[in-house]
Amino acid sequence: MCISVCPGGTHHPIQCIVPPHMLRVIALRGDERTAEMARSLLKQNQKLRQEREDHPHPCNQGDEAPAAIAGGGNTRAGSTFTPDRRVHDGQQKAALPGKLLRGEGDSPSDNADVDLMYDAMGEVFSLYADQFDRNSLDGSGLALIATVNHRRNYNNAFWNGDQMAFGNGDGQLFRTFMDLSVIAHEMTHGVIQYSGGLVYQDQSGALNESIADVFAAITQQRQLGQAAHEADWIIGSELLGPAIKGVGLRSMKAPGTAYSDDLLGQDPQPFHMDNFLSTSDDNGGVHINSGIPNHAFYLFCMLLGGNSWEKPGQIWYRALQELNNPMASFAEWSDQTVAAAIELYGTGSPEALLLRRAWKLVGLPT
Amino acid sequence: MIIEISSSGGFGGIPAAAMHKRIDVDQQAPSLRQEICDAFEPRDLRQLAARSGNSRGADRMVYRITVTDRQDGPHVYDIREDQLPAEILDLIDQM
Ligand SMILES: [Zn+2]
Repeated sequence: MCISVCPGGTHHPIQCIVPPHMLRVIALRGDERTAEMARSLLKQNQKLRQEREDHPHPCNQGDEAPAAIAGGGNTRAGSTFTPDRRVHDGQQKAALPGKLLRGEGDSPSDNADVDLMYDAMGEVFSLYADQFDRNSLDGSGLALIATVNHRRNYNNAFWNGDQMAFGNGDGQLFRTFMDLSVIAHEMTHGVIQYSGGLVYQDQSGALNESIADVFAAITQQRQLGQAAHEADWIIGSELLGPAIKGVGLRSMKAPGTAYSDDLLGQDPQPFHMDNFLSTSDDNGGVHINSGIPNHAFYLFCMLLGGNSWEKPGQIWYRALQELNNPMASFAEWSDQTVAAAIELYGTGSPEALLLRRAWKLVGLPT
Repeated sequence: MIIEISSSGGFGGIPAAAMHKRIDVDQQAPSLRQEICDAFEPRDLRQLAARSGNSRGADRMVYRITVTDRQDGPHVYDIREDQLPAEILDLIDQM
C-alpha cells in the first residue's frame, strides 16, 4: 500500500509497516495499551480508505481485495470490525450457554480451553473481516458465543444456529474438539446460515459441510502462513485419541485416507462423483460426500498455486454470497464457483480455466 | 422396562464413534428409576421426535431411543440432540 503519498490522510509510519491483518491480531491479542494503539490505527486506516474511495487516486488501484459483496450489509469498513467474543464453561453439563468465563476485552482466564477458544475465534473473525470484509458471522457484528466443556465424554462439536458447543471427547476415540480447524468449521456454519443457508441434508448438506471445511483449511493455512502446497489439508488433526491410527478426521488432499483404525474404522470419504455414497445416515452422508467438493477446492488451490485464502477463498466466498439456492446440488455449486471466478478474474482467465479443470477431475464438469 | 440409546451424526459423522447404551430400568435404584421413567415418558418422546426435522444448525447428533416394556413391545424415537431437554441429556451422560 502507498498510503504515505495519498492526499488528505493522516499518515502514521506504523501503518505502512504493519499490514491491517497484523494490526487486527494486535488489537485482539495484545495487552490493553498495545491493543488500544492498534485499534486507533485501524480506525485511521478506515478513514483513509473512505477518503480514498471519495477521492480516487492512481496509487490506490489494485491494492485492495475484491469489493465486498452482499452478505448482510455494513461490510464496507472491513479493517475496523472488532469481535464480541463470549466464552462459556459448560461445566460438563448440557445446558447452554453455561457460565461466562471470558468476554471481549477480558484478560486471559486461568482456563487454557477458554483462552484457546477466545484466541481461535479471534483468528476466524479476522479471516472474515480482513479477507472478505465481513463483520462477524452475520455481517453485522453478531456476538461469537462458544461453550467449552459441553457435557461429559462428549464426542462432538456443533453449531446450533446461535452458538457453538465443544465436547472434550471420551479420551479414547477423541482427545479433544478444541482445534482451530474445528472452531473455524463451526463458525463457518454460522456464516453459511447468514448467507442464505444450505439445507442440511443430502447434496446441499454436504456442500454446507464442505464449505465449512474449506474455510477451516483457509483459516489454518493463513494462520500458519502456508501456501497451498505447504499445507497438510487435514481437518481435525488434534482430535484423534492417542492410540487411533490416523492423521485427523478428514483429508482434503486425499479424502478417504485420514484414518484407518480398528476402533474408528476406515475414513469413508470419496474424492470423485463415481464414489458418491447414497445413504440415509448422517443426514444423507453430509460428512462423507463433502469429500468431493473438498477435493475440488484442494485441486484448484494446487493448480493455481499461492495462498488458499486469496483467489480461491475469494471465489468460494463470492459464490456462497451469490448462490441464493439453499437446495443447491454439487453441479449447481460448481457452476456458481465458476461464475464467481469469471466475474472476479475474467472468462478466459487462468483462474476460471483451472477451476473448471479441478471440478472436472472430481467428476463435475462445468 | 429397557431403554436403549444410540447416536449417529455429529462433526465426525463416524458410525464407530457413536454411543450405545442399554439400561434395564428395573435394576436401577428407586430414585433413579423414577427419574428415568419421568424423563422417557413415551408421549413426551413422541413430541420431541416430531420436532426433530430440519432446522438451523449443523453437526448435531441424533439419538435413537428405543423403549421396550413388557406390555406393548418396543417404541423407537429418533430425536436430534438439541430437541432433548438438557436434563435428559445429563441423565443420558450419567446412565
Ligand atoms: Zn459441520
